Amino acid sequence: MSRSIKKGPYVDERLAAKVAKQAGNNRTPIKTWSRDCTILPDFVGTTFEVHNGKAFLKVYVTEEMVGHKLGEFSPTRTFKGHSGGKAKAAAPAAK
Amino acid sequence: MPRIQGVDIPPDKLLHISLRYLRGIGPTTALELCEKVGVDPMRRAKTLTDDEVAKLATIIDRDYLVEGALRRFDGGNIQRLKEIKSYRGERHRKNLPVRGQRSKTNARTRKGIRKTVAGKKGVKDK
Repeated sequence: MSRSIKKGPYVDERLAAKVAKQAGNNRTPIKTWSRDCTILPDFVGTTFEVHNGKAFLKVYVTEEMVGHKLGEFSPTRTFKGHSGGKAKAAAPAAK
Repeated sequence: MPRIQGVDIPPDKLLHISLRYLRGIGPTTALELCEKVGVDPMRRAKTLTDDEVAKLATIIDRDYLVEGALRRFDGGNIQRLKEIKSYRGERHRKNLPVRGQRSKTNARTRKGIRKTVAGKKGVKDK
């Protein structure tokens, strides 16, 4: 179910403040853990470092990403293929 | 045989049922359409006059997203998800369920027919 319109999009206030603060000038990546924060139009052009539980992954926000959550761009799982068959491990990667 | 939006030819079914053979038109839109055009949804599709068919076609063309256009619209949305490398896009790319369903078992609709892996538990080695 989607979030009620009354509440508006969920935004991490502190993060939004940080983005506003560096608006325009120095676009240093902002480290953040708030994967659940919605990407606002104001965030476009900012680089975030979004935590995936282990490391911070760089996410450069483009216009297309508005409305998604930061966490969607920082995958939490690594799939290295199943054990065994080498040919089979290569096949899904080629797809 | 009435023909709306190119290839679609709904046969001797009730009008509101046969309209649903168009991709993008479901139960609700079918009835809505009948009302807009002013035809009885319980009539057979073959009893439609050319005039009524033309009317239906223009309204569908103008107000609804159907068939190819709809498919392109959906495809474009999926393409967008892939391009921004979002989680959902990644799931589409891998042909796995997109909305958080389990994929340890089941998920056959997305994963397709079972591919048996030799040596896996429960599978007899030959």
